[in-house]
Amino acid sequence: MKFRGKIVDVACLNHFTRVVTTISKLTKTCVLRLNPDNLFFVLSGKVANGGVSMWCELSQANFFDEYQMEGVSPENNEICLELAPENLSRALKTVQNAKSVKVKLTKKHCPCLTVCAELPTLSSSSRVVTHDVPVDVIPKRLWHEFKEPSVPDFDVSIYLPPLKTIKNVVDRMKNLSNFLVIEANMNGEMNLKIETDLVSVTTYFKDLGNPPWGDGASQDGGPTQSRDPDSMAEARVDVRKLQQFLVGQQVNPSKSMCNIVHQSVLHLILLHEDVSLQYFIPAVA
Amino acid sequence: MKCVIEGKNAKVFGRAVHALSRVGDELWLDPTVKGLALRSVNSAQSAYACFIFSPLFFQQYSFMGCVPKQSSKTVKCKLLMKSLLPLFRCLTSIERNVERCQISVSASSDWVIIQFFCRHGITKTHNLRFQEKEALQAEFASHLCTNVLKAPARLLGDMVVHFPVFQEEITLSATPLRFSLRNYEESGESQVKMMYTEMSLHPEEFEYFHVDVNSEITFCLKELRGFLSFTESHCLPVSVHFDSAGKPVCFSVEDVLFEASVVLATLMESKSTDSIQPVGTQVHATSRCVDAAALRVHACEGHGETGRERITSSQGSTVSPHPDPIPPLPQTQQANKESISVNTSPASSMVCTLLFKALSSEQDDNVCAATPPVLAGYSDEEMMEEFCPKSPSL
Repeated sequence: MKFRGKIVDVACLNHFTRVVTTISKLTKTCVLRLNPDNLFFVLSGKVANGGVSMWCELSQANFFDEYQMEGVSPENNEICLELAPENLSRALKTVQNAKSVKVKLTKKHCPCLTVCAELPTLSSSSRVVTHDVPVDVIPKRLWHEFKEPSVPDFDVSIYLPPLKTIKNVVDRMKNLSNFLVIEANMNGEMNLKIETDLVSVTTYFKDLGNPPWGDGASQDGGPTQSRDPDSMAEARVDVRKLQQFLVGQQVNPSKSMCNIVHQSVLHLILLHEDVSLQYFIPAVA
Repeated sequence: MKCVIEGKNAKVFGRAVHALSRVGDELWLDPTVKGLALRSVNSAQSAYACFIFSPLFFQQYSFMGCVPKQSSKTVKCKLLMKSLLPLFRCLTSIERNVERCQISVSASSDWVIIQFFCRHGITKTHNLRFQEKEALQAEFASHLCTNVLKAPARLLGDMVVHFPVFQEEITLSATPLRFSLRNYEESGESQVKMMYTEMSLHPEEFEYFHVDVNSEITFCLKELRGFLSFTESHCLPVSVHFDSAGKPVCFSVEDVLFEASVVLATLMESKSTDSIQPVGTQVHATSRCVDAAALRVHACEGHGETGRERITSSQGSTVSPHPDPIPPLPQTQQANKESISVNTSPASSMVCTLLFKALSSEQDDNVCAATPPVLAGYSDEEMMEEFCPKSPSL
């Protein structure tokens, strides 16, 4: 198994660092999948995570100037590593002004993802910084746990209001209750509600717009078409999980939307030209 | 003692207090003819910092006792950092508001009076109680160090930024061809999953690079960071004097108006623990520094015999086989077996602490008779006699 990537462009390095930092704010450990075209940061929805799962896809050509990899075997040309994104984020953050950054899979005291950066200096020689981020190689038999999630059979799909606005609302609501209800309809309306014995607070958003998934996108073109546009689909989620998602965002998405499966799952999607991030929060009763 | 600091220098003084607060909990004030010395040492006695402000730094500086009729003994005192730091905490407001800062200590009372004369006619007076104490001084023979480097202003700061804030210790490794820093972790289970960072430079980045003996020293980063943030704000090149593992490392800067230095103890790696001394003060402390320091202090309180005994067990007085031009400094017995490249002396696992000497108002040449706390002993009498009187005090 071999992997070697090199980033030379400052903007790409910056962008990559911000993506990794966002991931590090969402979870303590995650799986990094590498194949010849893409990198994926995956968090599988286990009980330990509270059922939350994440899928972040990056197109390698948009970040790396050089990218070579050799997977586990020719038929399975992929590498699957478990790591703490916080370490990788820390390693990248300090080398933002590097002339070039190489990321490679190495074996030191344990398998590591080594970030090796050449920093500019006034003299002709260069400074070299090396960070060894320890990783665990995931064996092929476990790869099925980290597959791309399919888009759920959602009831409503709606564009999100600016993340900053939602974050402000959710921050305030967190003080009042542990659970928050997100409901939306196909008419571009979304409400965030909390309800306790003493108080209930609702924030209303209008004219958000609904993404045109069309017949192809949704598994069963039927439900969204025949659904009453004013009828709300809701999901009651743990407010801290939603807040954790909002707090870490470092990448400004060009499109952000969410799909709601009524009383089942909240599926958040952030799209950017080079990166897509999907986050699933299970609904609680 | 009475001194007056002009507005913009008050910020410099405040920065020095900040840097010292990163080292220890107490600050020793020592007015001398050379200037006002501020010193601090950490609780494990493995780090020492000293800032000396020359009389030129002050608008007015008089260090003798205020009342001439009384003994002209200068007052040396010790203040709690907790009381002093808040006065200088907000440096930007000091810069903006303070026109003059006056510090006075009188032998007759127990107060150090710090007055800030601010804009708009406001005067803030702070009275801090002090404890009269012998001055603290570390003896560190920097001119005897085999390796000397001088780094331009931002270089060291740029290097340590790559290490996480919680990183406690780092290892500095120098050969004539390369200089590197890497993080240090105690061996153990946690070692496997740690993230390792290493940063290396070419010697030509230094203003002066003289490495006679390849060495690798491990020391605490925290105290150094405080010092580096002071030096960076003044864009001063930093001189580094060090030797092999186990001997202290000194980082210092010099300016017309002040000189500052921090001396840090370095770790001595050990493979055998049987050389640990008979004094039986093996304290099972969590940090090596504390461990070692506790040993040192205790041992040296009964200076003379015990001190020497203990030291011989850990640091033999054997001469290093390397043809050093300098007088032989204490090396461990087993060090002779090691090759030049790596200097991990398998002595007792402890940090080699600094040589401290409590001074009375005159320099006491006979170190043996020094009053406690003498924190580290010497290898043997002759050696001590040889280099102690000559060592520059910091």
